[in-house]
Parts: sequence; structure tokens; C-alpha cells
Amino acid sequence: MNTVRRPWLHTAAGIVVIAVLLFPIYWMVNASLQPNGATVDTTWLPLHPDLTGYRTALAEQGGNLVTSLVVALGSVALSLLIAVPAAYALAQFRLRWAGWVLFGILISQMIPGIVIANALYGAYADLGLLNSIPGLILADSTAGIPFAILICRAFMQSLPPAVVEAALVDGAGPVRAFVSVVLPISRNALITAGLFTFLFTWSDFLFALTLTTTEDVRPVTLGIYNYLGAYVNDWSAVMATAVLASVPAIVLLVVAQKYVAAGATGGAVK
Amino acid sequence: MSSTATTTSTTAPARSRPAPAAGRNRPGAARARHRRLVATLFLGPAVVYLLLFYGYPVVQNVVMGFQHYTISTFFTGEAPWVGLDNYREVLGSPLFRTALLNTFLFTVGSIVGQFALGLGIALFFRRRFPLSGLLRSLILLPWLIPLIAASAVWKWLLDTESGAINRVLVGTGLVDTGVPWLSSTSLALGTVIAVNVWIGIPFNAVILHGGLQGIPDELYEAGALDGATRGRAFRHITWPMLRPVVTVVLVLGVVYTLKVLDIILGLTGGGPANATQTLATQSYQLSFTTFDFGQGAAVSNILIVISLVFAAVYLRLNRRAVDE
Amino acid sequence: MGGASRDPAWYDRPVSRRAVTTAGLLAPLAALLAGCGSSASAGPRTLRVLDTYTNEPDRSFIGKRLEEAARRAGVSLERVSVSGDSLIQRVLQQGSSGTLPDILMLDNPNLQQIAATTALRPFDELGIPTEGYADGVLAAGTHGGRVYGLAPNVNTIALFYDVRALDEAGVEPPTTWDELRAAAGELTQGSRYGLAFCGNATYEGTWQYLPFFWSNGADEREITSPEAAAALGLLADVVGAGHASSSVLNWSQADVKDQFVAGRAAMMVNGPWQIPELETIEGLEYGVVPLPVRDPRTQEPVAPLGGEVWTVPATGDRAKERLAAAVLTDFLSDDSQLTLGEQRFTVPGKPALAGEYLRRRPEMETFVDLIENARARTGLLGDEWPTTATALYTGLQLALSGQASPAEALQEAGEYV
Repeated sequence: MNTVRRPWLHTAAGIVVIAVLLFPIYWMVNASLQPNGATVDTTWLPLHPDLTGYRTALAEQGGNLVTSLVVALGSVALSLLIAVPAAYALAQFRLRWAGWVLFGILISQMIPGIVIANALYGAYADLGLLNSIPGLILADSTAGIPFAILICRAFMQSLPPAVVEAALVDGAGPVRAFVSVVLPISRNALITAGLFTFLFTWSDFLFALTLTTTEDVRPVTLGIYNYLGAYVNDWSAVMATAVLASVPAIVLLVVAQKYVAAGATGGAVK
Repeated sequence: MSSTATTTSTTAPARSRPAPAAGRNRPGAARARHRRLVATLFLGPAVVYLLLFYGYPVVQNVVMGFQHYTISTFFTGEAPWVGLDNYREVLGSPLFRTALLNTFLFTVGSIVGQFALGLGIALFFRRRFPLSGLLRSLILLPWLIPLIAASAVWKWLLDTESGAINRVLVGTGLVDTGVPWLSSTSLALGTVIAVNVWIGIPFNAVILHGGLQGIPDELYEAGALDGATRGRAFRHITWPMLRPVVTVVLVLGVVYTLKVLDIILGLTGGGPANATQTLATQSYQLSFTTFDFGQGAAVSNILIVISLVFAAVYLRLNRRAVDE
Repeated sequence: MGGASRDPAWYDRPVSRRAVTTAGLLAPLAALLAGCGSSASAGPRTLRVLDTYTNEPDRSFIGKRLEEAARRAGVSLERVSVSGDSLIQRVLQQGSSGTLPDILMLDNPNLQQIAATTALRPFDELGIPTEGYADGVLAAGTHGGRVYGLAPNVNTIALFYDVRALDEAGVEPPTTWDELRAAAGELTQGSRYGLAFCGNATYEGTWQYLPFFWSNGADEREITSPEAAAALGLLADVVGAGHASSSVLNWSQADVKDQFVAGRAAMMVNGPWQIPELETIEGLEYGVVPLPVRDPRTQEPVAPLGGEVWTVPATGDRAKERLAAAVLTDFLSDDSQLTLGEQRFTVPGKPALAGEYLRRRPEMETFVDLIENARARTGLLGDEWPTTATALYTGLQLALSGQASPAEALQEAGEYV
């Protein structure tokens, strides 16, 4: 992508836009540093930062963060593994019943999560999948797989056939051609789908709550509830946990965004 | 319904038409079997997964709508069949009309806001400038925050007396006293829509940005040669190329927005006085506050039917794009 | 146009053997992963407990007491705490899959419904003593004439006030509705409101409305009565006059406490669970009085009963049920009630312990007095309470937001019952 004229003006405008958009995030950090989680009359800047919330969060939520990370990454892997070939098939193969599959996928997105969670509970209890990381990965992929299929299909619809033809002419089978030609071109789509699957899973609370009955496997979204009691709320610990929970995800996001390169299809056609 | 994918209409320089592959028109069962095998390999796992994880819950929910399903049912398994009674009660309740209207307003408001702002941000970040990469990745931050924390923060920011937003408004003299964002029946829905827009912007911005990246530069160069200015370039190059992505984003946006529950419950609990009660929150409350699961399932089935209408629209639009 | 260039080529090409084998290997792997779940069975002398004490310090107080009781009964415990909102959901899931815990804590207004499903074992069958409890506690825990759950400690709400604020304004803590109206007015100065309470669209709103509702003689079986409207009118008047923030429509009891502590409300309606935090605030001197009644000559304050009851689900494992009963008997003992009451600022469920309790916690006097005559929310309506509770907070919201007069609001809300 070519750069703009007067780049610094754009940078300034960009900073303003992002700052406004992220102000609530700043407020969250601010709240996490307030003494006693003072939520009324919070000062604009945490002039007397109080790290109690962070101490509590670090001491108690470390393991939960790891659990969340494992479940989220596992869910991304599983979702992409299942969804991307399906997306490609729906986008490029001419299948008579593909429309019905698409329709089914759309319907699946309309089901309230709580309906699915309750149904899964019964099945998981019977299968012994409760309180297990694979179980959570499978369940959280319910958000990622349909979404990844739809998004990747939308991207792949505009794949130029010439590229794939070239590979086939060279003697590759459908799977080889898919892996070595289609996947690299669709990098943007894959990364976008992967990102959102990660975020869906990372912020999932419903399945974490429903499909765990002990403290063995406890994603951080559930761990936060340790600080929200029926009577007393420890907001600085809640906010500190939320901030800490964002950090690994932010790192992953920044890294992933670097790979969303410009003009991925443009170069290949030539 | 076939969904043959083709390239979207394009004014690109002539694409070379590849020579027909040898043996394309050879008839035979082997051909058909190969076809099915490849299709199964690619689509099979997804279909199996969807049937397992969605099929049963959907069926169960539909059936529950016709039953008198209460707390006792969970323990005794008895759920007497009541036919359409649940639907009659739900549709006849005055709360349903309010919820339906609120759902409509909430969805339209959210989608328009999220899409417009998301597209604006995506277009803004299309070109490279210093720090654009970093700023772009920061857009997704709102999604990283657990909803419980996000709704708590917004509640504080929107508080009538001590919220930061009102402090600014009062301090700069724009208003005399704090605006009752969440406690006024006339403002609450708009406020909740605004918060939902805030949550939805990252989704729209990132996906649309990805879609924009997929438009080759040559098209713009060619267009520039023909004298296409920014506005015309957008209408004739950007928009058509972006269509498939836009349609997906809009339809998914609608489907997701119809389901939104946690943020509304976190901000207002459906109040004040049902001003922010939507079909999704009503279904939740019927099931988990008054424990009439049959009625709750009925409302969520109605919600699914509404979503189906949008899905049908999407598929129609999709087919029209295919035919172009 | 169309598929001329692409599709047939794909299907013509043989699928590589490598692809098929890979797919074939993944399937059993998936099945293998499916087996990697942890089982939920506990040993014969391990009891499973489910409660909602997710945060400190309650979690430890209850935990220690349970551990002690378990030790005395010769069992060990596997305890799980979930957030209050999700308890019923969890109970329902466990009920339908037959995995209810051996000891189950419930919020007292939910007991009747769960008992009605025959999921709980009555205390008389288990031999857990039920004498000596306050009327409200028994009413909450009794269904169909049998006791299914009891609370070792209970609480209610009263009026907290900022001593210094009232002194400065020369106002006495109100005892009647008129005095409350006047005091709220005089105490509203600058950024401080006279009164803060919780009127949100949840059962917390209903809970805070009940003392005024009941003390005025209204009955939850008939919520459209003039007495109910008058009680609602009191709250609507205070908000309407600007002496309580309109944000009461959104505040939880925790938010109300935050406002009081920040000096934005001179009086608040809240419960004793706030006391530990109030004690830590420097410079805050607070007092507690019962909530005002309309006419003190003929009316007495009526406190709604709060607190959690403990039950024994009918799991069918008779041996474990007996062990659970032993644990609960100890957990509900007099000693236990006093210890927990002292630690958690909650009132023992047996009025006979009041004297000893006040010796240890004299600041709880107002609450102790109120508990003696506290009323259970499910006392009259049993498992029909949730619908009425929802109607009550709907009416509360309609009136407080100015959408309708109190009488109209209750009429409209009454249609939902």
C-alpha cells in the first residue's frame, strides 16, 4: 500500500480516534489502580496507584490465564482445521447442496448460547468431558467454526481461479493444491478468522461456567467471579484481572496483525 | 440451491481464460465418486461438528417451546405438552410488543452505527502511515475485556452524578446536571445501543479492513488513469469488490446483535421499566428469573425465526451476486 | 463464465493417499481426546458441597466452619462455589443429570421451588433438629409442612445514616415516613442526596421495597392494594423530589454502599454485610435504625428475611445423606451460629442466642431486633413467589421512573402475575 501525503496528520488523527475508542479501557486500568476500588468519584488519573488488586490477581489467576490461553489456542487450531477446507469447498466447488450447508451454518449462529450450553452439559456429563480442556476447546469452537467458515468463504469467493489452475496443471492433487496454493493466498482470511475465534474463546464465559464443576479447569473469565460476591465486590481485583487477561491477547494480536499483509491476491495474479 | 462461487464483477485487466482441463467432460461413476470423496474430505468434519453441537440443541429448543417446562421438569423429567399455549401467552403479553420494538430499534441502531464507524475506520487505516500497524491492532482491545468488566466500567462512566462522561459534560457547561443515561426511560435504549456499537466496531473494522486489503492496487491505478476521484473510486471499485465481505458482516452482525444479552443485563437489567427489554433478555428472564422455560424457549424460537428471515435475505443477495 | 475453468478439474484429480491417511488418523485422535475428561465421582466418605460464597472473607469463614463440621462427622468435603446468579442454573443442570451435591446451599426465597420438585430430603427424615428458629426462618424453609432447609445466620435491611451529616443539618434519624421525606429533603445538599436505595430491575429492588410494603400492611397476594401503592408512593416521592438520585433505578445494593461511602448519600437502605467495609473507612461515623413506618402508633417495622439456607438433596445415596445430615447438624449448631454470626455480621437464626450474640457484636442490635419478626418472602406464596417478585420490581421501576403513578404502576405490574 502506498503511504499517504502528510503522514503525521494521519497518525495524529489515528491516535485521537483510537484514544476515544479506547477510553473505557483506560478507565478500566485506572480503576484497577484505585485504592479500595473506589468506583464513585474516581480521579481522572491514578495519582496514588494501589497495586493490591494486581497482587491478588497475579497470585490467584496465573493458572487460570494459562488455562484460558491453552483453550483459546486449541480452539483456534481446531476451528481453522475444520472450517477452512469447508469454506474453500463452499466457495469454489460447485455443490448442489452447498446452499443448505450454508443455511445450516447461518441458523447455527442464531441459537442463543445458553441453549447450547445447557444441551452440552447433559452430553458432557455423560461422556465425562466436564472439567476438561479438550471439552472446552470443542465447545468454544461452536463460536469459531461457523464464523470462520462464513468469513473465509467470503474471502475465498474472490480468489482468482488462474492461481489454482496453475497448480493443478503442474500435477498437484486437490489437497496439495489447497495446502500449497490456496492457504498462502488466503492468509488474510485465515488470520482474521483465527483472530476472532481466539477472541470469542478468550472472552467466553458461558461455556466456562456451564462445563466446569470444579476448580481444576477454570478459565480466567470465570476466575474473575471470585471477586464478585453476593454482597461485596472487589472491583480493583476484577479490573486488575481483566487488565492482566488482556496482556497475552494483546501480544498475540499485535503479532498477528503484522502478518495481515497488503495486496495478498494482487501479487499472486501477476 | 447451488452456490457457485465466481469472481465478483470486475473491471480488471483481462484475465486469461485457462484452457479447459483435459478429461473434464468424461462421464462415469468414478468421476462422481471422486467428486464426492473430495467434497466429503473438505466439508465432512465441519458438517459432522455442526450437526453434533447444534443439531440437538436446536431440536430440543423447538420442542421445549411446545411444553410446559418448569424447574420440576429438570428433576422429574415431566414436561406436559401444551401445544401453542406458550406462544399464545408470550405473544399476547404487552411486554412482547415492547420487547419486539426495542429489539428492532436496538438491532437497526447497532448495525448502522457499527458498520458506518467500522467502515470509516477501515478506510482510514487502509493506507500506511507511521504507527498505523500498532493502532490497527489496538482496535481489537474492546473485545479482550471480559464483558462483566466492560459493563461495569460503562456503568461507572455513564453514572448520572459521578460518571466521567457527565463530569465532562457538566464541567464544560454543555449541560446543567448530569444526563440520566441509564436511568431515563427515554435515553436508556439509545445509551445501550451506543455501548453495543462500541463493542461492535472492532468486529466490523477488522473484517472490512481485511476485505479492503484484498482489493488489488492495480484496480485503483487503472481507475486513477481513467480519472476516478476518491468518491467515484469508492463507488465503482471499492464497494463492488467489497460486496461479499460486506454482506457477510452485515448478516452476521444482525444475527449476533439479535442475540445480545450480557451487555444489556449488565448495564440495565432490561430496565428502567422495560425500556431496554429485548426479545433476547425477555427469553432469558422468562427462563431463569421466573423459571418458565417453555415460554423462554418460545421467545427464543421467535427470535430464531426473525434471524432466519435475514439469513434468507443473505442467501438471496448471495445468489444475485453469483448471477451477475 | 460459470464452472468451466475450475470445478471438474478438482474432482478429476485423485485424492492423494497422504491426505486420506491424515484424515483417517485424526478421527481416532478426536475420539481419544474425548475420553480425557475428569470423572466426578467422590469417595464414600467424601461429600460434595455447592454454595455461592465465591469471595473472601465469607469463603474462608464458611469453609473453615464446614471443614470443622466435616471432621467431627468423619468425612472430607469437596466444595465448589459459584456466583449467586448462576446457582439455580447449576442446580437445574445437576438435577437433570442426577449429579446434585450432597450438601446444597440455596438463597432462602428459592427453597420452596426446589423443595416442590422433590429434589430435597426433609429434615425430619434426616434427624436434623429444627427447634428454636425464628418464625421467618422456619417459614422460608418449610414446604408442605415439612422443613427442607435452615439458615444458621440471617440478615435483613435497615437505614444507615451518616452521623456527622445528620448532626450538621440538625436532623434526627427518621422513624416515620413523613420524617423520612423531610430528612431526605434537608440532607440533600450540593452533590449529596438525602437518601440512596436500590430500586433496580432485579429481585434486589423488590427486596428493598418489601419493608415499606409490608409495614404498611400490604399483602403480596394482592399487590394492587392502596397500602402497596402508598408504600411505593413514598419511594417515588423521594426520587421525584430529587432527594434520591434517579440512578436508584440502576444501582445494586453494592452501588448504594459505594455512594454512601463516597459521601454522595446521607442515608442508605442496606444490610449488615456492609459493616466490615464501613468500619474500614476513615472518618466515617455511621448509625443504624430500623426503616421508618408510616404510623408508629399502629405499625411496626417488618423486615424481609435474607440469608442462605442449607439443604440435603435427595441423591438416593442414603449413607451419604446421613453423613450430610451429621455435617449440617453441626454446621447449624448454636456454637456455629454464634461464630459465623460474629465473623460475618449476620444474625443467628435462633432468637435465643440473641443475648450472647449481642455481647459479642453490640453494633448489630438493630438487626437482631428486626430478625425476631422478620418475614420470609416465600411465606405466603411458596413457589409462586418469583412471578410476584418480578411484578413488584416492574411496578417499582414504572413508578420511580415517573412512567406511571404508584397505583397505576402496580395495576400494570399486576397484569404479569
